[in-house]
Amino acid sequence: MEETKYNFDVVRWFAIMAVVYLVVGTLVGTYIASELAWPFLNFDIAEITFGRLRPLHTNAVIFAFGGCTLFATGFYSVQRTGSTSLWSPKMAWFTFWGWNLIIVAAVITLPLGITQSKEYAELEWPIDLAIAVVWLSFGLNFIMTVAKRKTSHIYVSNWFFMGMFVMITYLHVVNSLAIPVSLFKSYSVFSGVQDAMIQWWWGHNAVGFYLTAGFLGIMYYFVPKQANRPVFSYRLSVLHFWALMFGYVWLGAHHLQYTALPDWTGSLGAAVSLAMIIPSWGGAINGMMTLSGAWDKLREDYILRFMIMSLAFYAMSTFEGPVMSSKTVNALSHYTDWTVGHVHSGALGWVAMVSAGALYHLVEKLWNTKMYSAKLVNVHFWTSTIGTVVYITAMWVSGIMQGLMWRDYDEFGTLTYTFAESVAAMHPYYAMRAIGGMIFWLGGAIMLFNVIMTIRQASAQRSSSAAAATA
Amino acid sequence: MSNLREYFQTNWAAMTLHDWIGLILTVGAFLAMVWIYSYVFNPKNKERLESQRNIPFDEENTDSEK
Repeated sequence: MEETKYNFDVVRWFAIMAVVYLVVGTLVGTYIASELAWPFLNFDIAEITFGRLRPLHTNAVIFAFGGCTLFATGFYSVQRTGSTSLWSPKMAWFTFWGWNLIIVAAVITLPLGITQSKEYAELEWPIDLAIAVVWLSFGLNFIMTVAKRKTSHIYVSNWFFMGMFVMITYLHVVNSLAIPVSLFKSYSVFSGVQDAMIQWWWGHNAVGFYLTAGFLGIMYYFVPKQANRPVFSYRLSVLHFWALMFGYVWLGAHHLQYTALPDWTGSLGAAVSLAMIIPSWGGAINGMMTLSGAWDKLREDYILRFMIMSLAFYAMSTFEGPVMSSKTVNALSHYTDWTVGHVHSGALGWVAMVSAGALYHLVEKLWNTKMYSAKLVNVHFWTSTIGTVVYITAMWVSGIMQGLMWRDYDEFGTLTYTFAESVAAMHPYYAMRAIGGMIFWLGGAIMLFNVIMTIRQASAQRSSSAAAATA
Repeated sequence: MSNLREYFQTNWAAMTLHDWIGLILTVGAFLAMVWIYSYVFNPKNKERLESQRNIPFDEENTDSEK
């Protein structure tokens, strides 16, 4: 086969920034979790209150960390599976600088309270426009790289990345439609129940197509590569892709059970959510069974452990989600911390852990070396797993307790507990959640240290090899 | 039986353009899913699809970097 040159410089920078944003984003998350447990941490400074920092946390982990991970892994795997270089390296750098400038804009505007007040889409209209342009630059470059591939078939990971691109473009543009009234203020073109429907059509599909489809693209390339075995069933991966694409768009309404939304839309959302267990579990099993006959690899390959554990969390949260969407369970779980726990079992357990595995794999490949410390990768694995479990367990207990306290009433039909009493009852679980977050953050900080030391080690090795060659 | 008929009773004359677009897209998506399932599970297509599993390993010998 003809030798191909790849463009990996931009991939390296995206990978480094992903690890940096993992640490920053989870640090902000841990801080706001601590504020909920110990409110004095607000220090009466508006810019660091929970309401201002919470969107900064979500934007940092989803779009800064998640985005950089997707760009790094997407630009890497599309070149490797197509045996070709990027269509436009310059455009890839535009994506890199554009995306990072958007993150800087988020860091400035969100603590100042400049927001559209739409969950996971808080950034104001000028930044929304910038997101659209930079996102399109990624998508165009990706699709054109696929178009110039040297292989006949488009590998399944690329289908997932392209599915994510098409759907997120559509979702971001429609959800962000707004009338600007000044440079930093705009109002959505939707109102009332339509606004709520559009918001959750976006909100759930940001989870479905960005945090699921995109990261499944990562899974389908990096799990086989790290395990050094082809994916268990390619046919199952094709079904997984199409079922996800057709099914996910219907789910948003399950966020709006028992609201002004027509009842049938919530029922439809719940029914399709339940149906989605089939492709989701098919995908999770497909990833895990890739190790069939080689489970012993998990004993020594800590990077692979991240990936397989992430699939276990993926399976768990894609079962929990449909259960929570059913009206009976939703009546208890909605508006409680159970939802927060569910989101984090997906975000920490699935997204962050599959990302960590893929990023470790990338660092070794891109710098042509081994990790500085395999033991630290293992420490990171256990801190991530324990931190996630502590976090979600605290939120399960807290959420179910909240739901039960809110619905409890006495023989006269009077509520048994005041809202303030339910808040006070949450305190131990909020402290436990903050501790879980701290453990998880510590793992991210260890990863950053390990990655920096690995890159330094690779540079030193390269310098000494060059010196030996010239001697 | 009459309950079932009542449940599925539809006032076709009241269908708006948006209703028809939604109905056609929904049924179209359902039929497309049926076609994909039958295509993927057709034994004739097994070898063709499964042979693509190895793509990530085909490029090992072109592992050079810029």
